[in-house]
Amino acid sequence: MNMLPGLRVLELAGGLVDFGGRMLAELGADVLSIAIGGTKRPHAETLAWHHGKTRIAADGIRPAALKRLVGEADVLLDDRRVGDPLGLDALAADNPGLIHVVARPFSPDGPYSGRPATDLTLMAVSGLMTIVGDPDRPPLRLPGEQAYALTGIQAATAALMGLRARRRTGRGQRIDLSAFQSTTLANYREAIMYEWTGRIGTRTGNKLVRGKSGVRQVWPCADGFVTWSMIDNPSMMRSVVRVMSDEGAAGELTGIEWENILVADEDQAMIERWQSVFGAFFARHTKAELGAWSLEHGWGLSVISDLDAVRESEHLAARGLFVEVDDEDAGRRIRLPGPLFRHGDGSDAPQRRLSHPIPISEAAWSAPS
Amino acid sequence: MGALDDLKVADFSWVGAGPRATKDLADNGAMVIKIESRKRLDLGRMSPPFAPAGRKNPDASAFFAQSNTSKKSVTIDLTDPRGVEMAKSLVAWADVVVENFGPGFMDRIGLGYEALKAINPDIIYASVSVAGRSGPMAGFRGYGNSAAAQSGHAAMSGWPDSEPHMPPFAYGDVVAPMFLTVAILAALEHRDRTGQGQHVDVSQIEPMVHVIADLFADPALSGKPGNTHPLFAPHGVFPCRGEENWIAIAIETDAQWTTLCAALEAPEWLRSSDYATASARVANRERIEAAIAELTRDLDKVGLAARFAAAGVPAGPVLNGKEVFENEELRAAGHFVKCEHPVLGPSMMPAPPMRFSDTPGAVRRAPLLGEHTLEVFAEMLDGQSERVEQLRREEVLA
Repeated sequence: MNMLPGLRVLELAGGLVDFGGRMLAELGADVLSIAIGGTKRPHAETLAWHHGKTRIAADGIRPAALKRLVGEADVLLDDRRVGDPLGLDALAADNPGLIHVVARPFSPDGPYSGRPATDLTLMAVSGLMTIVGDPDRPPLRLPGEQAYALTGIQAATAALMGLRARRRTGRGQRIDLSAFQSTTLANYREAIMYEWTGRIGTRTGNKLVRGKSGVRQVWPCADGFVTWSMIDNPSMMRSVVRVMSDEGAAGELTGIEWENILVADEDQAMIERWQSVFGAFFARHTKAELGAWSLEHGWGLSVISDLDAVRESEHLAARGLFVEVDDEDAGRRIRLPGPLFRHGDGSDAPQRRLSHPIPISEAAWSAPS
Repeated sequence: MGALDDLKVADFSWVGAGPRATKDLADNGAMVIKIESRKRLDLGRMSPPFAPAGRKNPDASAFFAQSNTSKKSVTIDLTDPRGVEMAKSLVAWADVVVENFGPGFMDRIGLGYEALKAINPDIIYASVSVAGRSGPMAGFRGYGNSAAAQSGHAAMSGWPDSEPHMPPFAYGDVVAPMFLTVAILAALEHRDRTGQGQHVDVSQIEPMVHVIADLFADPALSGKPGNTHPLFAPHGVFPCRGEENWIAIAIETDAQWTTLCAALEAPEWLRSSDYATASARVANRERIEAAIAELTRDLDKVGLAARFAAAGVPAGPVLNGKEVFENEELRAAGHFVKCEHPVLGPSMMPAPPMRFSDTPGAVRRAPLLGEHTLEVFAEMLDGQSERVEQLRREEVLA
């Protein structure tokens, strides 16, 4: 059961909308994608964001063919960096039912309009990089290309909202999308914290600072790392200490009445002393042991998994997250994330391949609208 | 007229992962009724920062306010069977039910999908949880950073020579609700086509895996990339004048490199043909990035970024919370909307990042706790105002 069968999406992909098109394809839409921009991208990015789409060669785009595709599309995802070199605005005007999502790095008419941007520079201005990393080293981005991913999700959201409005009004519309805003929206803490407290957040490494003290978030264990923090959740704290007590490893933690403690208000030296007891306990146990206790007792502790462990996760396998994808460019098969979520009776799988680009003259929708 | 003007949502979600999705819907015109309880306050209402009224006032949290704009709030005691019946009347009215409670809670109180489908057969029931509602870890209790740990994000975050890194914000609480919004909208489209509702089950882990799919697509990837890019250099963050001032520069073409060198008045050796190609620059990344750092060190980050932008070089100052809040581009784009709130006073609330030409959204202030209880139930249970008042007096609607 696909959710969007027959939905026709034309995508001009330059990074900002690519994941949005991928989401719509995963939901069953028929997505034709033209890579724009001319900058060489790593193959892994092409594979990750464009499998399941029909790829169209960027060279030799014929105006008549482009006009036909825009005229037949329900949705146009338009990554627009500078100007409108393909004349898409005029083509879109001839399709009154078209939902035209125009994604730019910044707003179309603001002071940053027309500025060049990449994933890294968008992360910088979002306020996220300033809090990622260690206090004694430069700011860091998040792994992957999160500004592009966030903008892509918003592009899919905009398209689907436009679709719903079209059902009511019978008309398409233009939707301008800012990557700067999309990325900044993910930064839900820093601006509001400044507005209300005047405090400016900085990098704190793996320490989570709340109130006058900070607590550790990442802990070495016998065979890797886990994440867990002392938080103001008395039942959770008691649950961890109970298991530690069974091993005689709880020490002074046994006598603490967690209901009467507000971690954020405790003295840092006291926090460190308590954390040393937790740390010694974690260090003696494996990820599997700690993960199993967390699942059974509701500790909120998570095993920190590397990419291979995520690929091999029994849980994610049971939910069918990873799927086999044919990489026609590289001539191999690879396991990649497939379904976006679980729903209904499951989804008819969209085409699970990264196809070779075809000339635009050969591009056609795979199903009637 | 918003894009979702005719959409009705019964929102049982709380804290971050659910409310951020229903904010997306509400800001674009959906009628979102947030079901809350005075006995079991939304933890978001107890989360800082607070207005001067303080943390004991359930309406003083700016954290809550920014995640719950444009919604209505009703209070129901869901531990009372009469409260559950009132909740069911909302379900009968709604197109969509959203929940992010702990595993099994909605089933235990009689508000699971199967029960609600019996009331409203084409209901769209949207769940978001750390590990999803099926699979061996379906019972896992955690929080946003659990998803970072279990998706590969924490392992791939931080400097290449460092232990896994957990930034001080829950990215899983950002990405998962965005997927939830997409799931709800796609399910609505499906229902419009088929007449069928369904249960959409969003895990926080899976969206976090999806947004680093490019890392999973690279079997040769070894270690954490930090700020580097496999094909481009310089690609990183460089010091600027003053304390904790940095600029990000990402050179993707040889022409941008030439322009960067000219703009920084780079020394001759850096401009030489030895570094004219991307592959040569990547091979000598450390050397050229150290040289760039020396050239930016005494320059103002904002002025330099503007100069680079004018020359066509992708660059951006690393902004902090204050600079984001005061940023001229965000202000001009309407990213923060000033809302008058009875407890917070005038406060800036984040708006959606998109502008609809025909169906613009509108951001309104977050509701006070239970502000719309009487209004909503008086309308829903037309002609039974005495019963509604009685339930309120008996703290069923509380």
